[in-house]
Amino acid sequence: MIRLGYLEKNTFLEAVNKKSGANVLNCYQCGKCVSTCPVSSYMDYPPRVIMQMIKLGMKEEALKANSMWFCLTCSACSGRCPREIDIPAVMEAIRHIAIEENYVNKTKKVKEIRTFHNIFLDMVKRYGRNYELRMMAEFNIRTRNLFKDMHLAPKALLKGKITIGHEHVKRGKAIRKMYAMADKLEKSQKG
Amino acid sequence: MARVGVFVCFCGANIADFVDVPAVVEEVKKIREVKYAVYYKYMCSDPGQQIIKDAIAQYRLTSVVVAACSPRMHEKTFRRAVSEAGLNPYLLEIANIREHSSWVHQKNKKAATEKAGDLIRMAVAKSIANEQLHEISVPVTKRALVIGGGIAGIQAALDIADAHIPVVLVERSPSIGGRMAQLDETFPTLDCSQCILTPKMVDVASHPYIELIPYSEVIGLEGYVGNYKAKIKKKASYVNFSLCTGCGACTQKCPVKVPNEFNMGIDKRKAIYTPFPQAVPNKPVIDAEHCNMLLKGKCGICSKVCEKGAIDYTMKDEVIEREIGAVVVATGYDLWDPKPYEEYGVGRFKDVITSLEFERMVSASGPTGGLPIRPSDGKVPKTVVFIKCIGSRDEAKGIEYCSKICCMYTAKHAILLHHKVHDSRAYVFYMDVRAAGKGYEEFVKRAQVETGTTYLRGRVSKIYKMGDKLMVRGEDAQLGQVVEIEADMVVLATAIIPYKTNPALARLLGISYDKYGYLSEAHPKLRPVETAKAGIFLAGCTQAPKDIPDTVAQASACAAKVCGIFSGDALKKDPMISVVNPDYCSGCQNCVQVCPYQAITTEEIPITRGSKETRTVAKINEGVCQGCGSCAAVCRSMAISLKGFTDSQIINEIVSI
Repeated sequence: MIRLGYLEKNTFLEAVNKKSGANVLNCYQCGKCVSTCPVSSYMDYPPRVIMQMIKLGMKEEALKANSMWFCLTCSACSGRCPREIDIPAVMEAIRHIAIEENYVNKTKKVKEIRTFHNIFLDMVKRYGRNYELRMMAEFNIRTRNLFKDMHLAPKALLKGKITIGHEHVKRGKAIRKMYAMADKLEKSQKG
Repeated sequence: MARVGVFVCFCGANIADFVDVPAVVEEVKKIREVKYAVYYKYMCSDPGQQIIKDAIAQYRLTSVVVAACSPRMHEKTFRRAVSEAGLNPYLLEIANIREHSSWVHQKNKKAATEKAGDLIRMAVAKSIANEQLHEISVPVTKRALVIGGGIAGIQAALDIADAHIPVVLVERSPSIGGRMAQLDETFPTLDCSQCILTPKMVDVASHPYIELIPYSEVIGLEGYVGNYKAKIKKKASYVNFSLCTGCGACTQKCPVKVPNEFNMGIDKRKAIYTPFPQAVPNKPVIDAEHCNMLLKGKCGICSKVCEKGAIDYTMKDEVIEREIGAVVVATGYDLWDPKPYEEYGVGRFKDVITSLEFERMVSASGPTGGLPIRPSDGKVPKTVVFIKCIGSRDEAKGIEYCSKICCMYTAKHAILLHHKVHDSRAYVFYMDVRAAGKGYEEFVKRAQVETGTTYLRGRVSKIYKMGDKLMVRGEDAQLGQVVEIEADMVVLATAIIPYKTNPALARLLGISYDKYGYLSEAHPKLRPVETAKAGIFLAGCTQAPKDIPDTVAQASACAAKVCGIFSGDALKKDPMISVVNPDYCSGCQNCVQVCPYQAITTEEIPITRGSKETRTVAKINEGVCQGCGSCAAVCRSMAISLKGFTDSQIINEIVSI
């Protein structure tokens, strides 16, 4: 059962709105986003319910959900939303808040998704672009599933989808500078 | 000898696909009296009508039979065509071979054809006995009666009076204004209800064509369209309005305190009172049920303080009569009593209030000076739960229908709460949000987004008390979870019901009402302001729940209808009415009993010419008679016949098949 009552300020709603630039209050619960979303069936709460939870100030439930981690940011939902809410931005915002406030969903799937994200960012930082072979290898090692999807490797190699060596981009330094700036920005916001 | 022309219509494919029209025409030609018979694709079209006109001249026809659709559709069209050709329009007969044959016998063409032939044969036989008839002219009294002085009655009265037609406006309470006067602000624009209503109230009071009769009720209506006579009971006010200046000394000094109806009983009024400061007329009345002087003969303070000597304890109810030509009924609505909702603590918890109580609280002129307060302890509520559909859409405890305005006024209340108590929090439990109207959906969005009202889909299951808080439990269907809200106050959006005296009024006026008590319109789509009785019209919530814009529109529509009736000096009426042959009449008065329109009275006539002895015979009032034929059927001595449907016409029809 959900307990509601006097709330001087719905701080969770305000934080989400500020971070995302959207206004979740606009949501009138039509559910078009849910039926549009390609991965809503994998989420424990579909986007519409997440919106309602934000409106009701149910911070813990919303932040502990796996929904925003499954979100592909494909923007199909916001493209069709009749109230023009930027739902992927809301998902992004609650991902941030979940990390900042230590609410991240602890299930294996979410852990894997986060590992995948981190490795990807690391690749881009190192090489300026993705290095698929290393990314696959690192993901398999870190998730302790060495032979996952291994049978696809020869085919992908032959087709040129992955390469043995990595490529460098021309201005790798600039990319690393971007990373440094992002880090600095994050720290200043925290402080 | 009669010369009949028969004109059969294909009605495109409607008739021709199922009735063999050429064969029918050949069959009809065999009838002796039929001098001409023809078929055409669309008889109602201009060339079709021309065929009829030409044939009348060419074949010197004495009557015309058109075999086509229902007379409800084109009887007028063909009567006009016949009369343009120089024939009396009532020499036309319609054989309905569409609704009565081709449409209902689509599976059996042979039978449909035979039946069409029979119908035409009957019409031909009847038309042979048709007589020339002439429209009846009924004089009209150009004065309208408006019952009810709410926004509907006010608007209708003003619109009629602006057309220079005198209006009698009867209001049961001491002041006009009705429910709208009780409202604070109105959706969807949030303009002040009083500010837009009171100018109209003042207009009514000062309009040279409006006679305002407050604190009165209509207790009788006789007559017929254009010639009604209304009996109006003026309730004793015990105050002589012509002497009273409205100074208010009496209401200040009166020692008796009574719950104030205008403020939904939140505060008290005196036994001598004006309902609200902007009342029109602004004269007090004495509430006879609570006045000490009238009940016990002791007190008399108001009389002592009145400098003008306007108080008169001996005043009696008075019945006055007005001759009028048309009636607009605008008796308004009442609110459903939420007592059956025991699970919400109605009556037990003081802080569970109704929407109109909340409305009076937030009104600047209301008993709390515009601030919502908890009736239990007088504190300003911070968390307020609004529950919609209280009584509406609830077959078990209330009524089946949707009250139409609750969604909107609840959104308004949520916004007003936010305006009055800035740090408040509103929750709304709803079943659906029905915001069909100009600017309505935007208004609801304003409540949800701008004022941050939380809308929860579901009906509240119960309310219980915890300390001085109310715990409201319901399901949030969006989450599929039970929600419990700790609230300071709960506002119930109670359903709209018709005013309780509606059925009695309907019987008195001779109009019909539905199972809820709403007065019935003549047609739900095409005649929404007329009643089944000519000259009586409906405006506002007396017909169905509606908001102010719809009410005003309907009231103006009533005014247009009334002005239509009064546009000429006399009303034209179909001559198909009953006539009495006094030679045959035995005076049994069976006809008086069966007449649904009270159109039959009796008169005394000499037994023989010049004789002093008299006998009683029936007399038909041409203006009232609607030509239903009940009297003709019940008449034992066959003294009554219905013009256009005489016994010889009917017998001819029967004999012909």
